[in-house]
Amino acid sequence: MTEISLIINNEQSHFQVPVNMRLIDLLREECQLFSVKVGCEEGECGACTVLLNGQAVNSCLMLACEADGGTIITLEGLCSEEGKLHPLQDAFIQKGAAQCGFCTPGMILAAKALLDENPAPTDSEINQGMAGNFCRCTGYTAIRRAIRAAARQEVNK
Amino acid sequence: MKAYRTINHPHPHVDGLDKVTGKLQFMSDIRLPNMLWGKVLRSTAAHARIIKIDIDEALKVPGVKAVITAEDIDHPPLGPFIPDWQILARDKVIYKGQEVVAVAATTPRAAAEAIELIDVEYELLPPIFDTEAAMEKGAPLVYENRKDNIAFTFSVEQGDPEQGFLESEFVREEVFHTHGAFHAYLEPNGSLASYEINNDSCTIWAATQVPYKAQLLYAQGLRLSAERLRLIQVPMGGAFGGKFECNLHLVCAHLSRKARQPVRLVNTMAEEFETAPIRVPMSIRLKMGIKADGTIMAKDVTVIADNGARTNYGPAVTATACFRVDSLYRIPNVRALGHLVYTNNLPKGCMRGFGNPQMLFAVEGMLDMLAEDAGLTPQAIRLKNAYKNGEISIHGWEIGSCGLSECIKKAISASEWNAKKSKKIKTGSKVRGLGLGCCNHVSGYRPTFTDFDGSSARVLLSATGSITVYSGEVDMGQGYKTVLAQSVAEILGVPLGWVQVAAVDSLNMTLGIGSLASRGTVMGCNAACLAALEAREKLLTGLAELLNKEKAVLDIVDGKIIWGPEKEMSVPFHEMVQKLANTRAGGAIVGAGQYVPNTVNPDPVTKYGNPSPTYSFAAHVAEVEVDLETGQVEVVNYTAANDVGKAINPLLCQGQIEGGAVQGMGWALTEQLHIREGKLVNPNLLDYKIPSFADSFSITSLLVEEEDSNGPFGAKSLGEPAFNPVAAAICNAVYDAVGVRITSLPVKPEELLSAIKTKKENRLKSAPANEKE
Repeated sequence: MTEISLIINNEQSHFQVPVNMRLIDLLREECQLFSVKVGCEEGECGACTVLLNGQAVNSCLMLACEADGGTIITLEGLCSEEGKLHPLQDAFIQKGAAQCGFCTPGMILAAKALLDENPAPTDSEINQGMAGNFCRCTGYTAIRRAIRAAARQEVNK
Repeated sequence: MKAYRTINHPHPHVDGLDKVTGKLQFMSDIRLPNMLWGKVLRSTAAHARIIKIDIDEALKVPGVKAVITAEDIDHPPLGPFIPDWQILARDKVIYKGQEVVAVAATTPRAAAEAIELIDVEYELLPPIFDTEAAMEKGAPLVYENRKDNIAFTFSVEQGDPEQGFLESEFVREEVFHTHGAFHAYLEPNGSLASYEINNDSCTIWAATQVPYKAQLLYAQGLRLSAERLRLIQVPMGGAFGGKFECNLHLVCAHLSRKARQPVRLVNTMAEEFETAPIRVPMSIRLKMGIKADGTIMAKDVTVIADNGARTNYGPAVTATACFRVDSLYRIPNVRALGHLVYTNNLPKGCMRGFGNPQMLFAVEGMLDMLAEDAGLTPQAIRLKNAYKNGEISIHGWEIGSCGLSECIKKAISASEWNAKKSKKIKTGSKVRGLGLGCCNHVSGYRPTFTDFDGSSARVLLSATGSITVYSGEVDMGQGYKTVLAQSVAEILGVPLGWVQVAAVDSLNMTLGIGSLASRGTVMGCNAACLAALEAREKLLTGLAELLNKEKAVLDIVDGKIIWGPEKEMSVPFHEMVQKLANTRAGGAIVGAGQYVPNTVNPDPVTKYGNPSPTYSFAAHVAEVEVDLETGQVEVVNYTAANDVGKAINPLLCQGQIEGGAVQGMGWALTEQLHIREGKLVNPNLLDYKIPSFADSFSITSLLVEEEDSNGPFGAKSLGEPAFNPVAAAICNAVYDAVGVRITSLPVKPEELLSAIKTKKENRLKSAPANEKE
């Protein structure tokens, strides 16, 4: 067991974890953050994507102790403090970008990481930046529309 | 045209908020007190006698609460079509991946450790993997109690095919091969079961497309009467035909019975690859004949389909492939023979399209070949033979409305077909081509469930005026809840946001066959509209008394009860429902609706009879780019025109079409299951390549609204028709680009490259005048 501390969704937390515990298991089983989805469990589908220090990571490929000292955002922590939806969340609803919804948490977080780095991506930059997140329902078109819509709102600020 | 207030508008999904905030709980997110974690030991042999199973060491692992084998389970013959399911392998195993032993433990780690310690001794038997070899006399039998490996045979004949070929100007015969495919929903299948031995009852939480059918089957598998089994439907992380009745859920329930605790059993993605009812691969020998003007005269087809080792929906899939397309085009003489064959391969079943995409790949390719022979364009031959409104097909299918011709014209026009066809676009080593693919589909299919057809629903106005609709059909991401709520809001005259859709639970649901055969919208919304109409009538009758008005003068618009010469008088909806409830001891208003379509189970011999209340149609145009140096095919533009009858929700329709196009491209170009000796060697999303963002392409979706009086507000199905013609359109575009006819899916770059080279060499040798450039 090893002791780690993390800031998860703006809250400082300390954990005693087995060294071989995956980050996804810490977030789901210890923190009950079930927006972090268990998909392929080998870093292909992106359903388990979380933000670690602002970067999108596959929480199934990472050990909890590797994240020690880091700041993690899951979808539960994306709304504003007043509970208002993030523009990406709003855009995903409006554009029909969430069909079954299983890839959606990881998809929105990956899109946030993309927009944080590149506030006005082109379609090909979106395709490249989001290539680690699979969706089987939408064919990606609606998701691109949502990301573009969210980007415009942020750019206009 | 009637102006609608709620339907025919692009409302976002009504459950969108839960999805974008991560609050929607899927199967693997549910936890119960005292819950155990299950794990399955699967067969490593494709065909073997089980000599011994040693579970002693597994039982000693701390935390292990139950280990079960076939010895612990007693169940009757079981299965949705053919009763060939063994919940756990008994005496012998018949495919690699079959469930042999199951464990339940207090932690996932303990369950996995116990699985490792189980020793199964097999005596290997000769396996059979090839369908044609499996059909031969003396082939090893997958089921020793059967006389051969033929699981199911379908045959149909109408008209006189031989005469039809004699009267044809051009006749072609070709063999086409289609491959299996994994649904690749991102949420692996699973369930949670809680068995109470003191009163022999069981609750199963499962993400299933067919909750009622699953309840019936699972009750059999547990030897319970169906009313002792409660099935709670959980939101689905994608399904596409892969989440029907599922043996895993039964294993889970038996584990719970043995452990006397709730058990959760969820597949890993690798297990999902091995256990999902993957698309039925087919070998299709197709012969068609046309007259010089393009009139189709005859079609003769033989299908050999791989059932794998266990039957899911393969029989219905095979039947669909054999004759559904006969109700797309007018064909006066048809013959079809289909064999569904047992092998020691992974079990097959349904996936989006249900056999129709397989046959469309063959027929749409064949039509282009015949059109070329006759000097016709692809659109001309299809328009010549397309069914029209009100026709009855050769198999008795009553085609109420048919927008096929309109779809073809729109897709041709929007794809700029004529302009693009007039010049060959070549950029570097890449050459472009255009291809057309059409399809039809049912909106519910009577033969998939013989007990009843249709759907029922309830609309409940509670004492506070909250509105809830109960339906037994299922949302799997396509947006069924949204169109259901829209339909009810439209009829009741209230804002969409006021209508809630109840979770499907066998305790309170009206029985629904489920979301298959593209039936949800037509069946479910038809029933919900009837339920909402009844609720509205009951409400207005009560209010007329309360307000001392004639019922006929009252109306509900935008959530207000209105009356008066100029409709100027109004009272709030919720307040009035509450007042009415107060006069009735708080009683709710319940509207019930039953939609029983005028369909029949087709005649068992002639297969004649109308199986669906409405039929939908589509025409898609793919524009591809083929790299002459690598053989890679890329879709660069896609135009899809779908006849949806009436778009209850254009935004959701667009979502189905775009998703179907990219999924169809995956089946045609990128996805392939690699199987060696019955073992899937690429059971992961790294090596099984579903389309990613990088593979997506520009899609123009067009909605043709050829309303059908049998559909809710005129609507027809869309889920499967969005997928059906995609591979055909892409392969026809490849031919247009490089002159190579694709007869086997998926398109493999190395094979295409070598075919292009061969073609070039042949052309240099003979240089015939009529060769395609």
